[in-house]
Amino acid sequence: MDVVGMYPTWYVPNIGTAWVMGIIGVIHVVASHTAVGAAFLFAFLETKAYQENAPQLLNFIKKYGMFLLVFSYIIGSITGPGIWYAISVASPRGVGGLIHNFVWIWAAEWVFFTVEVIGVYALIYLLGKIDAKTHLKLTWSFALASWGTMLLIVGILSFMLWPGNENWYQTGSTNDAFFNLNFFAHLGIRTGSMLVIATLVGLMVASTEKELALKASVVKFLAPIGLGGGFFAVMMFLYYIRTIPDNSVEMLHAHLLPVYEYAMIAVFIAATLYLSFAWWQPKYLSTPLAIGMFLFISIFGVWPEERIRESMRKPYVVGQYVYSNQIISRDVPGKNITGEVDKIAKKGLLALHPFIPQRLRVITDNNRLEVGKLLATIACSNCHALEPGAPLRNIPDKLHRATDADMIAAFLTGALRHGAQPYMPRIDLPEAEIQAIAHYLAAVNQGQNVKRLIVEQRAAAIKMQVAN
Amino acid sequence: MDIGSAMNAMRDVAGLPAHPIIFQILMIFTWIFHIAFVHIALGAAGVAIYGYHNRHKNPHWERLSLAMIKVAKVSVSLLIVLGVAPLLFTQVIYDPQWYASNVLSAAWAIGFIFTLIIAYCLWFIFYYFNHGVLRPNLIGYAWIALALFCLDGLIMHTLSYQAILPGEWMNWYAPDGVLDMSGSKLHAIQWIRYLFIISLSAPIIGLFLIAYAQYFAIRDDFAPEYRQFAKDLGQTLTTVGFGIAAILFLGWQFNHSSATNLVLHPLGWLIFIALIGMVFAAQRFATKLHGYLPLVGGLGVLTLLAIWREIIRIEYLRPFGYFITEYSVNVDLPSIMLFFATLIGLGGTVGGFYLTLLYQAGQTQGHYTATKLVDKLGTFAIAILTLWIITFFTYGIVIWLANYFIV
Ligand code: HEC
Ligand code: HEM
Repeated sequence: MDVVGMYPTWYVPNIGTAWVMGIIGVIHVVASHTAVGAAFLFAFLETKAYQENAPQLLNFIKKYGMFLLVFSYIIGSITGPGIWYAISVASPRGVGGLIHNFVWIWAAEWVFFTVEVIGVYALIYLLGKIDAKTHLKLTWSFALASWGTMLLIVGILSFMLWPGNENWYQTGSTNDAFFNLNFFAHLGIRTGSMLVIATLVGLMVASTEKELALKASVVKFLAPIGLGGGFFAVMMFLYYIRTIPDNSVEMLHAHLLPVYEYAMIAVFIAATLYLSFAWWQPKYLSTPLAIGMFLFISIFGVWPEERIRESMRKPYVVGQYVYSNQIISRDVPGKNITGEVDKIAKKGLLALHPFIPQRLRVITDNNRLEVGKLLATIACSNCHALEPGAPLRNIPDKLHRATDADMIAAFLTGALRHGAQPYMPRIDLPEAEIQAIAHYLAAVNQGQNVKRLIVEQRAAAIKMQVAN
Repeated sequence: MDIGSAMNAMRDVAGLPAHPIIFQILMIFTWIFHIAFVHIALGAAGVAIYGYHNRHKNPHWERLSLAMIKVAKVSVSLLIVLGVAPLLFTQVIYDPQWYASNVLSAAWAIGFIFTLIIAYCLWFIFYYFNHGVLRPNLIGYAWIALALFCLDGLIMHTLSYQAILPGEWMNWYAPDGVLDMSGSKLHAIQWIRYLFIISLSAPIIGLFLIAYAQYFAIRDDFAPEYRQFAKDLGQTLTTVGFGIAAILFLGWQFNHSSATNLVLHPLGWLIFIALIGMVFAAQRFATKLHGYLPLVGGLGVLTLLAIWREIIRIEYLRPFGYFITEYSVNVDLPSIMLFFATLIGLGGTVGGFYLTLLYQAGQTQGHYTATKLVDKLGTFAIAILTLWIITFFTYGIVIWLANYFIV
């Protein structure tokens, strides 16, 4: 039987599944980077306390540790699977591709996670209850294990962008997929940012410290780590954008930098000024300032980062072989994978997609609008909202609200069919399906009440059936 | 379109990096630990709340409640992280079912995450204001948290159950041919299965309490009366809990789809016997046995349950022609080795270090100084981690250079 292994679609109006993932992703990135970074700061501080025999630092750690535990571990460990759930429902074939390439890496990652969750409780409960040397070993092993989780996840995330050369497509080996071209650059960015975020969290806690000398010593210790981390992350980012594929470069210059460039520069300058100020005048570091800066930098820094990372991958979700709209774009001989675009071009989504209601498999005058909507949702909604004015690159606006179905069809049979847009998949569909999509998009742009029309046409179709 | 062929087409195109049976075993095995901590968390939360309301009746209740608040808090973190492994392995061999089920109830799958965050935070607040002594007025947080945990369990159950009913998917996705892409419904709940699994929280926390009483036996600050109190409660919960579970299980036995013939399968009845057996065995816990031994019995029951769930899944999918053994395989040795080396080498030493340390420190009243064994384990843990990281980078750099500079 002829079938393409597509899944049902989850459609979220206006923001799309992309933003659902983005929102959970931001929370997770902030939490997990805090967790890993804080693990190291914890280790540095505890070593300092141990060497200088400064128990007041341990008190600080105790406070800091509570925060680390509450904030990052809980939120991080829930939103981690959260991202996974989100990508499962947004891009089932994308996440499936990742899982089937990297299951053993993920399983190794899970070993680290499990060890870490036990470790974090050990760390907090045993602080001050056991001898200092053993606790120090606990803290250091915990920090190293935390970084281990980052080492493992970064390879998977950077493969999502691309493997970087042809090897993996031929060998199918996890080696080639994991240690991809931008792995080290990506790792550098994340390691640097982790130190920045952890410093910001550390400063929040330190800002509540009443004893000025302790506060100053902690802040003076943390601020340079944050500054160094930030500088390193920026360097690595500049290197990173040299390791990305052409479609990403195009996307970056044409669509992303114009939107996010100033925000990113502003965040960098603000963070640098803030940390320098704290370093210079720790006693003026107040809690509202510390919280405000944490929120500002983590939200306005991480949101663009996550959006850019997601958008730069376009038109793919995984390894430049799975398109965002779940269609396999090319052959991967190393895994016996064959592309699906041509097959779909020939037979059409209506015939090949397993989850099309029977009455919509053949286009008629009475269901063209409904089919058009369905096909647009399947083929476009992973990247575009369908509502005019909606925030996720809504198609009506992208089409400049064109109301002429033929003009829209010309776009679909031109740029889209030939894959001329580097950031959009090659979407090649049979003529009737193209007409249906164009018909639907034109109706939306004409401001018609599409929902009502569909209901009316469905009723008409049923009437006709009964009459026959 | 025939859903059986569709499911086979929905399998990931990359195939599996190892034989499917390996994933199946890992999936079953790791789920045992997930569900064990689900039971401990829910059970501990229940005992904590009950103890809270009864704190004026008997001072032991206050102490036990305080302890169980903490146990629940830690157990929830553990059940989450332990859920990740079966989540991973299910998606490897049952990806069509898992993703279809999730997409069809996508809003709930996402809601699961947010309600879990809220529930944990509420429980944490409850814990935060209730260590040392119980304070009034915050019990509402605990109740809401427990209710949300149960809701999350229900969502988990629904996702598992919908996954094995592929014949219904199209009816849920497009009832009467009209598409519903909102993912806003839970389409199929088998209440008896859910209630049975959740009901095991009572006996499992019972077994936990018996072990708890044993664990603290060597600490003077745990008076024998208090430990006896915990142990008695544990015994009651175990007896009554397994009894109720056995009745619910019987209900589930007669609730399987008749097409599957599962009601005749010996394993189901073995579980029933095991549940009844635990009721009788629990009578003897009071005197004769070491306090950790009953836990082994509990783990045995959960192991049977884990295998039983898999047999149910296999039987439900059989008529559709879905067999994991037909999944195509592209073996990937390096990453297999990475996993097993990490599991044994790193999980064993670092995990072993933490657990031994926690175990010994917990039994020590006041300050604890590491024994020779723990001291060595600690050094060894750091050494293994360092070695792991060095190997990772060396290996990675070699591959990276070979791929981008030499070729
Ligand atoms: C892989 C993601 C993806 C899919 C799937 C996708 N697009 Fe796009 N599309 C993009 C991106 C990215 C842009 C440019 C982004 C921007 O303007 O912010 C874009 C731009 C457009 C534009 C503006 C013209 C242009 O070339 O920049 C139109 C019109 C458009 N898309 C229509 C569609 C239609 C219709 C579909 C479905 C048949 C579709 N797209 C599917 C990602 C996608
Ligand atoms: C309070 C939170 C949770 C509760 C109460 C809970 C409870 C349950 C229950 C009762 C089941 C069995 C369902 C059935 O067989 O009918 C189950 C299965 C499962 N849970 Fe959880 N769970 C929780 C959180 C999690 C989390 C956070 C994850 C993932 C990280 C997870 C992963 C799984 C997996 C993978 C299964 C098996 C699914 C299958 O085999 O199809 N759970 N859980």
